[in-house]
Parts: sequence; structure tokens; C-alpha cells
Amino acid sequence: MDKKFMVALLVAAMAVILFPLFQSFEGGTQLSELGQYYTQNGVSDTGATNLVASVVVTYRGLDTLGEVTILFLAASIISFFLSVSKDDRIENRTVMSVTEILSTASQTLVPIIVLVGAYILVNGHLTPGGGFQGGAIIASGTLLMFLANPNHKLNHTIIHVIESTSGIAFVAIGVIGVLMMDGGFLSNKLFDLGTPGEVISAGAMPLINIFLGLKVGTELSNVLGIFVESQNEK
Amino acid sequence: MGDLLEIIGGVFLVLGSITMLLAAIGMYRMPDFYNRIQVATKASTLGLLQVALGVGLIMPGWAPKLVVLFVFILFTNPISSHLVARAAYFTKVPMSKDTKIDKLKESISKAHLKTVKTKA
Amino acid sequence: MLTVLAAILGIAAVVGAYYAIHNEKLTAAIIASGIVGMVSSILFLLLAAPDVAMTEASIGSALTTAIFFFTLNKIRQTNG
Repeated sequence: MDKKFMVALLVAAMAVILFPLFQSFEGGTQLSELGQYYTQNGVSDTGATNLVASVVVTYRGLDTLGEVTILFLAASIISFFLSVSKDDRIENRTVMSVTEILSTASQTLVPIIVLVGAYILVNGHLTPGGGFQGGAIIASGTLLMFLANPNHKLNHTIIHVIESTSGIAFVAIGVIGVLMMDGGFLSNKLFDLGTPGEVISAGAMPLINIFLGLKVGTELSNVLGIFVESQNEK
Repeated sequence: MGDLLEIIGGVFLVLGSITMLLAAIGMYRMPDFYNRIQVATKASTLGLLQVALGVGLIMPGWAPKLVVLFVFILFTNPISSHLVARAAYFTKVPMSKDTKIDKLKESISKAHLKTVKTKA
Repeated sequence: MLTVLAAILGIAAVVGAYYAIHNEKLTAAIIASGIVGMVSSILFLLLAAPDVAMTEASIGSALTTAIFFFTLNKIRQTNG
């Protein structure tokens, strides 16, 4: 039978199956029980004005740890398999020349981008953002740096040290929460909660955000660095 | 006072929209890629800055964020389009038949000599 | 108004995705997938999820596109 006909048949079947669902759909008019709990007790529980961050970092901190682990696995696999051959070493390879406009502009832009990333990271418990977002923005600053100067060599030792230290610190905060407080893993009550809305408040959340951001940023930068080092435009 | 600021801001918003409209018309009218990208960049940068200025006049509380936006637009818009145009040149996107001068071609031989075997 | 804007952005994302799948040139497909990331990040911002929008803008449209290009170049150079 014709392939296109089969595809059309499949689409039609899916439409028949999904149409009743679409027809009987009613948008939620009130929050679920869990959502109600978060919106009512989120600020008093965690001291953070950014509810999303309080869910991501405190209530569901274990899931964030899982995400970071997945990212770490991906980064390690990339650095394991993407070997830099002898022809691709910096001394031997050819790269397209970079225009002066880009290299000059990147000297101004990269610090601004990293600053924005750090701002988002530090203010994660107050305004939208947090560790992941800040780390990703810092990594895009690194990308701009690499585009401006492909021969730039990342110091892998420092990157690995920062990455492992922040990863260990992240888990350590969680374990301290289990051992010392009754709040469970990644408890927020390690420090005083403070007044919601100030930079130093929300207990351990700014600290966790900073470690998360450092870990994500260094990991993504490391991946980019490995990719750039293995490029060779013959 | 507040009303006056609002009116001036509105004028800037309209000006910015007109500039963007001109950019769109220019995109349609220009003969080849290089002309289009230069029309789009210049007009859209100016238009965005005018819109940002208008918003800043209407909402003075947003001024710090708008200054950051200003800097970002002013830097990234021209640079990115410069790079896109350069990439297009190197991948040999055809030029319009009326093209008379190609300065990049003259300087390219020098530039390429530099790239071969860049020492770290 | 918001619904119309969201619908336009959603259609743009779908068109970009279709273009990315059905294009013979891999570079154009990569750029199209970057556009999908950018459009969906604006969509997330409209639907009041600035956190997700930030992540999508920096990872989906910047880092992924760059990594795809690096990989494409690497594949071309190993396959001759």
C-alpha cells in the first residue's frame, strides 16, 4: 500500500481518537491541591518570592539533582568520545580568520553577558531565573568568546575543579539538611529564612542556586570547549 | 508633566514603528541579499531604539532595564548582521547584477594569508 | 489578543519545524531548528513562564545550534 496513504490513515485515526478528548476539555478553574499548597505556603515555607524557584530548588530539589546528573553524564560522555586527533591540535589546525569587529565587540559583550548570567543566578530566589538559567547564559557567553577566538584554550583543570566542587557542595547541602534538620534532603532551613524579598534570604536557596549555576555553566562551557578544540577547517 | 512625557513617548513609538515598516518595505524592494540585510539592520536597529526610548518615556520605572536593552541592541544587531553578511559572502550568495565594486574581494587575499596555520 | 499572538507564534514554530525536517541542506535545517527554539521561547514568555523562556533562548537557540554546527563540521571532516 502507498506510504502516504498509510500516514494519512494514521493521522486520521489519531484525530478520531483525540477528538473526544479535545471536545470534552475544560480548562481548570482552580488550582490542584498541590498547587494550592505551593501558592499558600510557598513564601512562608521557603522565604523565596519566586515560587517556581522554591519548587525547583527546595520542594523538588531531588529532581533538580537528577537533571544535573543527566547533564553531567552527557558532558562526560562527550568528553570521553570526542577525542582530539593530532591534526586537530591547535598548532596544526586551520581556522577561518575572525573579523576584528567581532573580536573587539566580544571583549565588551562577554563580560556583560556573564554579568547578566550571574545576576540571574544570584537573584534566582527573587526574580524569574535560577541556577540553570544563569548557568546557561554564562555558557552562551563562553560560546561568544569561542566564536571570537577559536584558538582560545579553556583551562580544563580549573573547569573540572569548579564543576566537581560545586557538585559535591550541592549534594553536601542536601545531606546536611538530612543530618542536622528534620527538613529532609535539600532542606531550606539550613540558615535563617530572613525576610522574603531581600538578596540574602530564603535560607540555603541562594547558595544552592549559585552551586547549580556554577555546575551547569562550567559543564556546558566544557562541552563547548571540547567541540571547539576538535574543529578543523581545512 | 506626566501627560507630556506620555505624548512624547507615543510619538517615539510611532516613529519607531514607521522605521520598522520602512525596513520591511526595503526588504521587499531591494535586489539581493546584501542590500536586504543592510536595510533590515540599520532600520530595525534605529526602530528598536526608538521604541525602547518611547517605552522608557512612558514607563520611567523601566529605565534601567531599557538602558541594558539599548546597549545589547546597539552591540548585537549590527555585529550579528555583519557576520551573517560575511558568512553569506564566503558561501558565495549571488550578488545583484548591478554590483560594481567588491572591496572585500581585494582585501580577502591578505586576510586569508593570515588564517593559514594560526599559531596559538 | 494574546491568543491570536500565541497562535501565530505556534504556527511559526510548526512551519520552522517542518522546514527543518524537509530540507535537503543540513545547515538550513539547523538554522530552522534554532528559529523554532527562539519562537518557542517568545511563546513561553507570553504564556507567563519566563524561567523556561530564558532556558529555551540560551540552550535551545544558542548552544544547541552551535553544537549542531560543530558536529556537522566534524562529520564532514571525518567523512572527507
